[in-house]
Amino acid sequence: MSNEKVVKVALIGNPNTGKTSIFNQLTGLKQKVGNYPGITVEKKQGICKLSHTVKAEITDLPGTYSINPTSLDETLVLDTLLDEKKSGFPDVIIVVVEIENIKRNLLLFTQIKDLKIPTILVINMIDQMKRKGINIDVKQLEEKLNTKIVLASARKNIGIEELKSTILEYKKLDVTPIGKITDRIDKEYFTRLKNAFPEFPLYKSWLLITQNNEFDFLTNEQRKLVLTFREDLGCIKRYQHKETILRYQIINDVLKESFNVDKSKASDLRGILDRVLTHKIFGYVIFALILLFIFQGIFDWATYPMDLIDTAFANLSSWVKTVLPAGTFTNLIAEGIVPGIGGVVIFIPQIAILFTFISILEETGYMSRVVFLMDKIMRKFGMSGKSVIPLISGTACAIPAIMASRNIGNWKERLITILVIPFTTCSARLPVYAILIALIIPDQSVLGILNLQGLTMMALYLLGFTAAIFSAILLNKVLKIEGKTLFVIEMPNYKIPSIKNIFYEVVEKTKAFIFGAGKIILAISIVLWFLASNGPSKFKNAEETIAAQIESTQLSKGELQKKVASYKLEHSYIGYMGKTIEPVIKPMGYDWKIGIALISSFAAREVFVGALATIYNVDNDSENTGTIKQRMSAEVNPETGEKRFNFPTGISLLLFYAFAMQCVGTLAIVKRETNSWKWPILQLVGMGILAYVSAVLAFNILS
Amino acid sequence: MQDILTYIALGLAIGFLVKKYFFKTKKKGKCDSDCGC
Amino acid sequence: MFKTIANLRIGEKAFIEKLCLENIPLELLEMGCLPGIEVQLIQTAPLNDPLYIKVNGSHLAIRRETAEKITVVK
Repeated sequence: MSNEKVVKVALIGNPNTGKTSIFNQLTGLKQKVGNYPGITVEKKQGICKLSHTVKAEITDLPGTYSINPTSLDETLVLDTLLDEKKSGFPDVIIVVVEIENIKRNLLLFTQIKDLKIPTILVINMIDQMKRKGINIDVKQLEEKLNTKIVLASARKNIGIEELKSTILEYKKLDVTPIGKITDRIDKEYFTRLKNAFPEFPLYKSWLLITQNNEFDFLTNEQRKLVLTFREDLGCIKRYQHKETILRYQIINDVLKESFNVDKSKASDLRGILDRVLTHKIFGYVIFALILLFIFQGIFDWATYPMDLIDTAFANLSSWVKTVLPAGTFTNLIAEGIVPGIGGVVIFIPQIAILFTFISILEETGYMSRVVFLMDKIMRKFGMSGKSVIPLISGTACAIPAIMASRNIGNWKERLITILVIPFTTCSARLPVYAILIALIIPDQSVLGILNLQGLTMMALYLLGFTAAIFSAILLNKVLKIEGKTLFVIEMPNYKIPSIKNIFYEVVEKTKAFIFGAGKIILAISIVLWFLASNGPSKFKNAEETIAAQIESTQLSKGELQKKVASYKLEHSYIGYMGKTIEPVIKPMGYDWKIGIALISSFAAREVFVGALATIYNVDNDSENTGTIKQRMSAEVNPETGEKRFNFPTGISLLLFYAFAMQCVGTLAIVKRETNSWKWPILQLVGMGILAYVSAVLAFNILS
Repeated sequence: MQDILTYIALGLAIGFLVKKYFFKTKKKGKCDSDCGC
Repeated sequence: MFKTIANLRIGEKAFIEKLCLENIPLELLEMGCLPGIEVQLIQTAPLNDPLYIKVNGSHLAIRRETAEKITVVK
């Protein structure tokens, strides 16, 4: 085991080349997703066995059109390839290109080749060669590009074994750059550059001076040299321009002899689909239908497994109590840990369904058409067509959605998108909505087909989007930021989505959610349980106090227990916390118990339901552990004698959860992505005021 | 016995939360323009 | 009067004459928008913006304001 040799492989390619399919074929389920240190770009790594003694550690780098980055994700590709001393520096690079867009794809290849790292070229989707009338002379192409080429089709599992054996022999690969581009741009200038950094490959030095970022691995003298070269910005831009033109010339020359397309075989399916999907009317109709279908999935189909999960965990709780010996730890498991885990597991169906839809839309190439359709409209609100994807992703979770906004090139558009994303109804709000709606809205049908509860849910979604749009308009007026526009999107060819890719994507994202947010929710459930079942002196003397109080009256044993339990909760640590904030939340119609749930919601909104479940569970006599909904419904407001969760309180809570910025995770990510505390604080305060005011208004008008 | 286990679980939970929210050091934007990265 | 990509009719083809790095992102060049290359306007989005073009084998969408900065000749 320990004498196994590990080859480090970096997988690079344009978006839409099937790079991820190649990655999945090489590594199977032996993947792990982590974050790069310090930043939140996903790092996908996997292990692939090459032979008995050698295995490859494969890193799937973010898709990029060029080595010159235009976004944070792409910066990572450059960073990985420039710093030789970093642990992630590859022994060999695999550049994946796609047969149909080979010309553009090769631009990245020629750039990478110039870094003098062993490079393998994988031409993917060769199964479509015949149908598209394409012919390649591999031998000649290999010769012209000084590389080893592997023809592959990740979907049909062609060429993967050959790729593995090519990786194994990476030391034999030729590392000479192609075409002496630097000489052809300006020989004198590049000789000067070469002499300035004799230890680096020339192209690496050129990249160092063309980028705006600092590079940690440079010495102080090297840094100074870089800065002097950077002074002549006009010259750098001109040379970059020239470099790109020259690279395309070389690529055209290479392809002229070794690659040809019989145009008569080309079909116009793409054109037909484009005309329909981006049509003035049908385009929007189709998009609206797709959205409806997605929401149908999240609300309707997901409820069946969710109800099952809810009941199963309620049963598990009671079961634990009967099986384990009585004691504090058993109580912790039954009242803290089991409901805590249940609170996480219950999300799996919705998240999995949403991610399935989103990855299908991305895989097919339809997402780019949505961006194209929506760009002009979104710009009226100060956003970009590219904001649509983050806003849709926001219905799952704001955190990945905010990260997905990175490819919006214009800073103002991106900032507005980031700021309004938390208004979209994320799945963490769903359980809160679901339980409140079930409590206050009757399960009736309207006009025969529509369900009143479903309609309320729909209305809350619309409310979230409306709030997002209005705040975007407001921000667009208020924010004074001028930024250069950078809006170029590729309209990829339509593809049938690969089930394997979608499966991996969904598994991975769901796993990331469970182990990321899940751990926090579980930890908070434990702390909450502890705070609710312990307290200062009054708590400890609860039995005696109650016994003294009711000496005169006759009570059954069960009623006595109940009284003790609620007295205990009131005088537990969390009871005191809830009482402290009660004056503030009273105008919204909440008591201290709801206050506790509000406080704990700041870790993650969905904790609300779990927190109430824990509170009412502790409150109840221990024999009776019904579902969360039954317990909440039984709760009575002692002042009015009415149900605690009546219509005005319910609506007030719904509005509060729709508007308030209650997620520490989101605030942290906004801080990281905007590099300033200003924006997350603006969100917290702005959304908080809106939530409070609307909840107070709603409660007072309705009651 | 059960009490000890309970306190261990509680300690772990608090330790985890504190680590998660108060020791998130690192990062440092390397950005000089308005690109916001 | 210069003709730009923004002036093309749907389906019309022309050759890129000039683009200047000052106001065109390098990214666009790298995607294949280069002087002397043939460009075809395939479609425009419903509100006439962005534009869907085919250039150098790539299918791209760019905003009108960018297209207005790329001059073309027949």
